Amino acid sequence: MDKNGKVFKKFTDRKELYKQQFSKENIEKQHSKGKLTARERIDLLFDSGTFEEIDSFVTSSDVKFGKTSKSYGDGVITGYGKISGRLAFVFSQDFTIMGGSLGTKHSSKIVKIQEMALKMGAPMIGLIDSGGARIQEGVASLAGYALIFSRNVRASGVIPQISVILGPAAGGAVYSPALTDFVFMTAKTSYMFVTGPDVVREVLNQEVTFEDLGGASVHSKKSGVADFVFEDEENTLLGVKRLLSYFPSNNLENAPYVETDDSADRIEERLRDVVPDDPNKSYDIKEVIKLIVDNGKFFEVSENYSQNIVICFARLNGHSIGIIANQPKFLAGTLDINSSRKAARFIRFCDAFNIPIVTLEDVPGFLPGIDQEHNGIITNGAKLLYAYADATVPKITVILRKAYGGAFCVMNCRHLGGDFNFAWPTAEIAVMGPDGAVAILYKKEIAESKDPVKLKKELVQKYRDEIANPYIAEERGYLDEVIDPAYTRIKLIRSLAALENKHVNTPQRKHGNVPL
Amino acid sequence: MSIKSLLIANRGEIAIRIISTAKKMGIKSYVIKTTKEPNETYLQMADEVIEFPAKHDEIPEFLDIESIILIAKKHKINAIHPGYGFLAENPYFAKRCEEQGIIFIGPSPDAIYKMGNKTIAKQIAGKHNIPLLKGSVESIKSFTEAERIAEKIGYPVILKAAAGVGGRGMRIVEKSSEMAKLFKLATSEAQKAFNDSSVFIEKYVRNPRHIEFQIFGDKHGNVIHLGERECSIQRKHQKLLEEAPSVAIDDTLRKKMGEEAVKIAKAVNYYSAGTVEFLLDSEKKYFFMEMNTRIQVEHPVTEMVTGLDLIEWQIRIANGEKLPLKQNEVKINGWSIECRINAEDVQSNFSPFLGTIKNISIPRSKNVRIDTGIREGTEITPYFDSMIAKLIVHGENRELAIETALNALQKFKIKGIKTTIPFCKAVLNNKAFRLGKLNTSFIENELKELYFQEPDEELMAALFVIYSHAKELKSETAAVLNYDKGKHLTPWVLNKRIKSL
Repeated sequence: MDKNGKVFKKFTDRKELYKQQFSKENIEKQHSKGKLTARERIDLLFDSGTFEEIDSFVTSSDVKFGKTSKSYGDGVITGYGKISGRLAFVFSQDFTIMGGSLGTKHSSKIVKIQEMALKMGAPMIGLIDSGGARIQEGVASLAGYALIFSRNVRASGVIPQISVILGPAAGGAVYSPALTDFVFMTAKTSYMFVTGPDVVREVLNQEVTFEDLGGASVHSKKSGVADFVFEDEENTLLGVKRLLSYFPSNNLENAPYVETDDSADRIEERLRDVVPDDPNKSYDIKEVIKLIVDNGKFFEVSENYSQNIVICFARLNGHSIGIIANQPKFLAGTLDINSSRKAARFIRFCDAFNIPIVTLEDVPGFLPGIDQEHNGIITNGAKLLYAYADATVPKITVILRKAYGGAFCVMNCRHLGGDFNFAWPTAEIAVMGPDGAVAILYKKEIAESKDPVKLKKELVQKYRDEIANPYIAEERGYLDEVIDPAYTRIKLIRSLAALENKHVNTPQRKHGNVPL
Repeated sequence: MSIKSLLIANRGEIAIRIISTAKKMGIKSYVIKTTKEPNETYLQMADEVIEFPAKHDEIPEFLDIESIILIAKKHKINAIHPGYGFLAENPYFAKRCEEQGIIFIGPSPDAIYKMGNKTIAKQIAGKHNIPLLKGSVESIKSFTEAERIAEKIGYPVILKAAAGVGGRGMRIVEKSSEMAKLFKLATSEAQKAFNDSSVFIEKYVRNPRHIEFQIFGDKHGNVIHLGERECSIQRKHQKLLEEAPSVAIDDTLRKKMGEEAVKIAKAVNYYSAGTVEFLLDSEKKYFFMEMNTRIQVEHPVTEMVTGLDLIEWQIRIANGEKLPLKQNEVKINGWSIECRINAEDVQSNFSPFLGTIKNISIPRSKNVRIDTGIREGTEITPYFDSMIAKLIVHGENRELAIETALNALQKFKIKGIKTTIPFCKAVLNNKAFRLGKLNTSFIENELKELYFQEPDEELMAALFVIYSHAKELKSETAAVLNYDKGKHLTPWVLNKRIKSL
């Protein structure tokens, strides 16, 4: 082919035309909002020089109403490349072209890339910055959303799907992220809501700002919709990379292995001092996690939402694990509606992608209260119970301190299907705490006593010595072993190695009925 | 009765300081362990550790008079040293000790009470003709009255809003011709700000120095002084760096002020260690401020220049012994500086910095003394004062002392928390400080940079950040991720996995 010939010229002209779409003005406009362009985001996410775009010349549909500005690519960049050396698929909405609105061609590009990711068994990442459905295209753009949703659901549990909100996501647009495994948001520049402030004002006569209605802080603290929030786009996209490093590409593989210089035989004596002598004192469970996992590194999910439970990814001897841990620092580590839902969804993800689950338990029980009961702690607590019982990946529990009542059963006890259940000598396992138990069992004796305070104190101590300890459970085989806290890492690594080839035959069924 | 055993009703470095003297004197030392810091260093130094009984109230342990007395009684300890802070200047505590037959190492309850009450203390000083800052006793409203009082106490004077807080409504009047204008301004400002136009008048001392005299008395009526300390480096009345002697004091002035200090101590039959504080103006006029009836945080600088052990003196005097020295036998030798190392973030307005000491390296050399209660692993909690160490140096003269202090600070490394070390370095490097030009507004007026920075510190910090960022990135991504191990599963796993789909 002649480089200067007519045929080639048409080819290069078209390329030039495509480039011209991304005018300097538009780029600056995007930058002035503290945002990067769709292309810059892709460059940050993928290993340099590995990204391949497809469908860049797909042209917007003809419409008869309103302003039309035909464009190549229809406001979204789709393609594939390598993230940390591994194949991944992406779509990146371009706010500078028709506000990143979702038209027919826009949606069919996304669907195409979603289908490719599923066929190839590789992670799918959506970079979202869109004004919503393209009004001019009417029902066709709504149909486009529905197509995307259906692909999201089909791919769920087969390939990891991550949504990164880097601008507005309103109306129907929020449901695709909600269907994916993890949602990232960037502080101050991203919003998610089903109905915006204008609608809220018209319908309910309530004044609310974008940030207060659906900003990153709302979704990371109150609603729990956003799993990760970072200060800027660079850090957000780095966070995506970091998260992916814990995942396999699909549900048949195992997660990538990372060579570690942290010894598998490390005895961590500091763990002996973590739990305070006083059972009413709190401590930070994250310190425990740090001391156990490889090089003290873990990646927390939903850090600021329902902080009474901590969920995170980490590695033990180089292998990915998911950790669920009660946090005594918040609400004394009790289980409530939000923490049950938070942990349950995390377990479902780990189970779908062959990531073993380690539970660090210090739970005084479910959170009592009218609010909790009326809002359905029963159904929501059952979600966690179902998730644990249903998971077939290796499941290990270490009871650090409290394990009382129903919460003991829920948090992966042996009879629910825990593969290995350990306890520290500080564990208190019983139907209820000493104070409550003594008050019920010795109500009369205490009331009639001359010195009720003293008697109660004695009985509480007796209860602790005789019932609320780990040794009864150990003698009955309900626990596999009571362990020295300093050996926790060693025990976990060895038992996980033993469970490496675990497989459970589950009955044939369409699917179970999760108490959703 | 003589002291055989000693309960230290304190913690941290001062507890350790007292233990070391007790050891030297063959006295058994007892310390109190609280749940707030159960692993502290002072607990390991003492002969005996007593666990504080479980608390059922909100009173902090070291302020709980009855429990402390009970501990002493229970363990048959015959003396209590309160250290500084907490109960050191509580006359009721000293009295309770007396009642229970426990020797309180400090002055009499009466002396503590009188000097603790500022009005009484000033009355006593006035009665003995010790110079005081004059001022109006009651708030004034009229200009003529203001003029009359100002004339009496002499210009410059300061007008302060009676209801005022902070600097609002405050005016400095240099001479009588300015009074009319400034009085009007001050009262109208006070009226606007506090809805009360009345003001106080007080003698104004421009940029004074803070000079204090260490005095000692015994139970036989003898009182001497051990020279002065200069504590002008202060921030919001918090001393940060002290020295002895002071560049502002010559032999004549030392003699004169020392005598005044002894006079006021004698007026309250003072025994044990005490400190008489003065303000010293630029014309070397001094004014009595107050007397502290305890061993001071900065007592080591006096020890360094006199070669004495002040804690030992306190114990001997409590025992009824006479003062070991006469006034003319006290010799001041060389120069000493103390830097207070606080767990504070100088860059955010000296806010307390909590955390765990990850690593500590303490300079050890001749002429350097470190009084501290911290070590690797110590947790800095919000329960106690932020001072974690004192670095005290001695030199033949002031320049050498400054050099020694800077060298020692350079080698003093504390990892894990922010400290005032860079601040102390900035002070010691300051030109005005080196010239001895100090006053209590030194930090606000003279210190342009609140912390010392090495010439290339910022560059090094930037390089370090880039390096660790790159390292962090690498550990998360590409090179270290091994996908093969995750893909090549044993047939057992893979087949079963596929079948169960």
